[in-house]
Amino acid sequence: METIFRLENVSVYFEKHAIKQRSLKYALGTLLNGKNDTRIHALDNLTLAIREGEHLGIIGRNGAGKSTLLRVLTRVITPQAGKVYRANHRHIVPLLELGIGFQPDLSGRENCYLAGMLMGYSRQEIAAKMEGIIRFSELGDFIDEPVKNYSSGMYARLAFAIATDVRPEVLLVDEVFGVGDEFFMRKCIVRMQRLMQAGSTTIFVSHNLDFLVTQCSRLVWLDRGRLVLDGAPAEVAAAYRATSGVPVLECQTSV
Amino acid sequence: MDATSLRFTWFFAKSQLKLKYRYTALGFLWNFLEPAMFLVILSLIFSVVNRMNISDYAVFLFSVLVPWRYFEKVVNSGMDSIVGGEWLLKKMYVSPLTFPLTRWLIASVEFLFSLAVVFVIFAFLKSSWTIHLLILPLSIVPWALFGLGAGMVSAVLFTFFRDVKTLVQMALALLFFSAPILFKPDLFPPESLQGQMMRWHPVTYFAALFQKPVYQGAWPGMIDWLVSFAVGVAFLALGYYLMNRYRGRFYFYL
Repeated sequence: METIFRLENVSVYFEKHAIKQRSLKYALGTLLNGKNDTRIHALDNLTLAIREGEHLGIIGRNGAGKSTLLRVLTRVITPQAGKVYRANHRHIVPLLELGIGFQPDLSGRENCYLAGMLMGYSRQEIAAKMEGIIRFSELGDFIDEPVKNYSSGMYARLAFAIATDVRPEVLLVDEVFGVGDEFFMRKCIVRMQRLMQAGSTTIFVSHNLDFLVTQCSRLVWLDRGRLVLDGAPAEVAAAYRATSGVPVLECQTSV
Repeated sequence: MDATSLRFTWFFAKSQLKLKYRYTALGFLWNFLEPAMFLVILSLIFSVVNRMNISDYAVFLFSVLVPWRYFEKVVNSGMDSIVGGEWLLKKMYVSPLTFPLTRWLIASVEFLFSLAVVFVIFAFLKSSWTIHLLILPLSIVPWALFGLGAGMVSAVLFTFFRDVKTLVQMALALLFFSAPILFKPDLFPPESLQGQMMRWHPVTYFAALFQKPVYQGAWPGMIDWLVSFAVGVAFLALGYYLMNRYRGRFYFYL
């Protein structure tokens, strides 16, 4: 199986004092006073490979670096250290947040074009998908209203419909399921399962352990930017639960 | 820049323009009202200062003021384009060039419309129309290159140092008031200090691209083309280089 992503010793860090930092005055100050080195590591020397057809779940406490990892995989963040390989010829669709690229004043239809183009589709391809998107999102005539007039459920349904009415070869998902009413949620999960059965590679970030255990073929546990455990979903989830997400020493040595 | 980002840039710029003028039938005219006020006041004052016939002076002034305002707009709106693109740059991969490019496209379309409005005004002010006006589409090109380049340079600077905004605006004001836009380039004798300054001032050559065909009824000189294209291309190259050099760092400064 082909490798879709490979990270080698990847580190991402954020500087503290990030607010003051953004001025010429501050830059000159640090130049004269010497560097400040207060950094927060979001990813710390992480090495990870993801192969085709894998359904990878990522777990960890808040601030463990899960979302940062997804952003590195989608090229939103360029890490300060380490190497990132990604299979750029594959069609990779990120679903990091619902409604990315939506402009509140544009209509639902126009936003479909905008968001679709961001995902790498041409005008004609989006036009062909339009019917399906309207049907799945159950928006009907609302599709030509500005999205600022949508209810949050309508907004989420449209965003989810656009992101998944596509046939992505690789799908990256960051905790977007508690959306819409119960029936729509079920529809979403069915659609995700169908995508996964079709052989797409999926990478999930979620706090819903039960969902991950049933849907994933591999689970990765992150803590403070480091890899704690990587293996079969049931085992990783059990270890995670047993320690309430705080890795103890023996977990770290078992890596 | 990849095909996806290019397609997105084009569609995004179009939708922004449509949005801006969706609810106003006279949208583009409103857009022109404020500069028109500016032009009227300036031409009243400076026709006295320069002891010129007012309609003659207005033609002289408008010929460069319109491209200058375009340039200023591209630089100013380009400056915060990357910071303003946070909503996307923090969430999804898209080439950062998209943002200055979008602002540039929007400003360019608005510029073409104000040019059209200015020509309607010229119909009342200008006594003779010459064949030299046909060169204007080419005269726009160096201004557009210079604007896009300077916009990208200031976008990169502004992302890292938010206090450069004032500096850039001061630099623009300095360029504007020291260039022969408000006053005629032959106001000073060529060997005087001011005359020397005019010769070394890049905007003198940019201005000539519009002043000569519109006001003097002459073709721009070879030196005007050379200097303006050289400056335009140099800024574009610098802007492109800076964008590519620092694109990986933008995320941390948004």
